[in-house]
Amino acid sequence: MEEKLIEALAEALEMDRSTINPDGIFRDYENYSSLTELSVLAMLDSEFGIEIEMKEFDKLKTVADLVRLISNK
Amino acid sequence: MSLLSFNNVGISGLAAAVPKKIINNYEHDLYFNKEDIKEVIDKIGVRERRFTDENTCSSDLCFSAAENLINKMNIDRNEIDLLIFISQTPDYRMPATSVLLQDRLQLPTSTITFDINLGCSAFLYGLSVAYSMLTAGNIRKALVLDGETRSKVYSQKDRKTGFLFGDGGVAALVERGEKYSTSWFSLNSDGSRESLIKIPAGGYRKMSSCETIAEKVVDEHGNIRSEEQGYMNGADVFNFVIREVPRDFDRLIGFAGVGKTSIDYFIFHQANSYINGFLARKLKLPEERTPTTIHKYGNTSSVSIPLTIVSELSGRLNGQKRILLSGFGVGLTWGTAIIQLNDCFIGEIVEV
Repeated sequence: MEEKLIEALAEALEMDRSTINPDGIFRDYENYSSLTELSVLAMLDSEFGIEIEMKEFDKLKTVADLVRLISNK
Repeated sequence: MSLLSFNNVGISGLAAAVPKKIINNYEHDLYFNKEDIKEVIDKIGVRERRFTDENTCSSDLCFSAAENLINKMNIDRNEIDLLIFISQTPDYRMPATSVLLQDRLQLPTSTITFDINLGCSAFLYGLSVAYSMLTAGNIRKALVLDGETRSKVYSQKDRKTGFLFGDGGVAALVERGEKYSTSWFSLNSDGSRESLIKIPAGGYRKMSSCETIAEKVVDEHGNIRSEEQGYMNGADVFNFVIREVPRDFDRLIGFAGVGKTSIDYFIFHQANSYINGFLARKLKLPEERTPTTIHKYGNTSSVSIPLTIVSELSGRLNGQKRILLSGFGVGLTWGTAIIQLNDCFIGEIVEV
């Protein structure tokens, strides 16, 4: 799951996969913006079938939080 | 459940008007540099849009569209018993703009007129009201006018909204007739999300004052707007739309009992190309049956659905056609409709 998420996140944020690790705070990545946030939401929906309210999504900070989100689905 | 169906009522003609002033977005570098705005424009897909001058209102665009429709279809104005004006940019706070249009269009004083104040989903709401009143009987023809001057609503100094919106107006003639067979509507609202797209001041909750019209820096990115200009939380809206719009789409298809393959065209509110592209992929809709106008007219709120029909389906609506409409936005409100068109007249787009 972690591998697949990191790959999808890298694609959504147009980043090199090797620069993303589970402890990373994805919101602090240089490529994370109000525009690429849409790509992350789109990726969670289409790749993992995740439907999440923004107030829940806003609590997620690290790549590991995203992995937990898709694992608990 | 908010599901409606109608028999033997439909749209017999559509016409549109847009301002002649074209805004080329990539060159629209009044407050931001071209490199920064390119990133935004590439994502939202709005290459051009139309802006009115300060003296032109939504009603003027609708008036031109309606005159064109009435003249080209050779409609007897005395047979128009209902006029609905849909807009969130009316001429005045009072009286209702629809009443002014009754006089300007020289319709009889027996015409029923009123405004509907809703945003991106409003064409569906307006149609459902016209269909309902026509079904009640005795109304011969209804004119549904839908206009927006979004250019007057959003700050050009706010990157979140300054490159997205445009102006336009449409006129639709709605009539009874067995050839229209059955149409279906699903309409929804969620007021708990009212703050996601909003003009907070200038109404009666927070009346206009020197403070509300003052421009302010509103975030760490240096975006500037006043409280009387529109705000939009794009991520929240996007997240809501990608979840609820497909759900409503499937619900209405199920209610109508028609196969997706029997629908000739899918017309979505032109929100931005990123949302629209996502919805089309998620719903697995073929590109050639999902026309778009976001690249040339931008997001024109409630006008975008009928404007896309006029712009893209002219010459493609001969005979019996079944089309699906999907509108979503401010409120939040959203809806889906499946309607039948039968040799629907499409007027050319008039420039005002």
